[in-house]
Amino acid sequence: MTLYFTVNTVIEFFCLLIACLCLYKDRDPIWRLCILYLLFTCATEVSAIHIRKVLNQSNLPLYNVFLLIECGFISTFFYYLYKRYVNKTKWLMVWLSVFTLLFFGELMNNHFLSFTFKTASVLSLVFVLASLYFYYLILKDEKFERLYNYAPFWWVNGTLIFYFGSTSTNIFFDYLIQDKISNFAHSIRYIIFNILNVLLYCCWSYAFLCKYLQRKSSSSLA
Amino acid sequence: MQISSKEVFFLISLITIIFLIAPLFMIAYVSLYNRRKKKHNEETESLKKAFENELLRSQMEVQEQTLKTVASDLHDNIGQLLGLTIITLSSININDPAKAKEKIAAAEDLAKRSVKELRALSRLLDGEELISRGLIGAIAFELDWLEKSQLFKIRYHSSVKTLPAKAGKETIIFRLFQETLHNIIRHAKALEIIINLEFINDLLILSIADDGIGFNFTEIKKLHKGMGLQNIQKRVAMIGGTVSFDTAPGTGTKTTITIPY
Repeated sequence: MTLYFTVNTVIEFFCLLIACLCLYKDRDPIWRLCILYLLFTCATEVSAIHIRKVLNQSNLPLYNVFLLIECGFISTFFYYLYKRYVNKTKWLMVWLSVFTLLFFGELMNNHFLSFTFKTASVLSLVFVLASLYFYYLILKDEKFERLYNYAPFWWVNGTLIFYFGSTSTNIFFDYLIQDKISNFAHSIRYIIFNILNVLLYCCWSYAFLCKYLQRKSSSSLA
Repeated sequence: MQISSKEVFFLISLITIIFLIAPLFMIAYVSLYNRRKKKHNEETESLKKAFENELLRSQMEVQEQTLKTVASDLHDNIGQLLGLTIITLSSININDPAKAKEKIAAAEDLAKRSVKELRALSRLLDGEELISRGLIGAIAFELDWLEKSQLFKIRYHSSVKTLPAKAGKETIIFRLFQETLHNIIRHAKALEIIINLEFINDLLILSIADDGIGFNFTEIKKLHKGMGLQNIQKRVAMIGGTVSFDTAPGTGTKTTITIPY
């Protein structure tokens, strides 16, 4: 049982718990969708450990499937965040089409055997740009928001840190997937992703908390 | 040259740290800029409030000035007319029908004039109504009253037929005009007042000149006596305009107010 308790799973379950508590009654469907996405994330993580450690098989195909969910959810979330400032439906459609082409292209090229890391790298780059564009919209907007408790800002902060921070590991993916550093029990990629996951889910948990407080304060005002 | 695992570990760690620091700086920058935006918004809000306060003060002063005009008109004009009506009526001798008829007609004429004056006065009473005529109309109306007093010779020239309606600005400009006029009446000992109104390249230029005693502008400012002048300067600045006082002892005063409109 302890097999399934890793830094990643613990922080993911923690974030899922916060999401359930804070977003269960949220008015925005996209924020409620976070619960479902986190549920998928936790299920993927636990299944990946099971496949790797118990069944002794490669879990990369599972992460390939999860990449589709990840792209779909994060892209849609960004689209909804932009919606307050601009409408970018065309951008979303174009991006999702490009991603699908890239993903299946790479998958076929790899004969469905390895992780689509090139598509994942493009995905990271696009999400970094999407986060920066969100900052640009905040800066351009004439309306002032208290950023320290502005949920979308913290959600984007977590996303930017995670995808920007994972750039180097994505670049060296081929090498790192083989590498084992003697001083550590896990590969460096795993350690980096542990740190990034902690940062990502802490930011997201804080964003969910902000959203909860915002809902509470607006309902008490009404 | 072969790169060892430790070197790769170091390299990747370094790149990751750099790639983690970069977004942190980005977040810090956005937060800082946002705080400045907040400060800017607060400043804009306080300027807006100051403008609204000044507008309210101007409106009150226009009303106050109007009431003063009404009071003096009631006393000097309508009061006299009604007094004369009473005297005429009380001097009627019923036994002399021809003379009585003549006197009644005269009393009727006086009463009619009083009513006419009262109607004009009631229109003036509403300060807002005055401004609702538009700035040009309000200035002309104010000058009519001044001319009626026969204390000054008024020369008014305006090359502007109509102006786009800007309620707040119009009230403040009208109050500036009233204030300048009031200064002339109180201090200038002038015989003639020349008013010029022009509208060139989105600039409204209002000049009010008199042939009075004039004053030493620098000295008055140094002695902090010219509170009225400072008030005019402050109000003009608030609506983004400029004001100049062309004056010297014995040469009269020309006040030119230029406002982007």
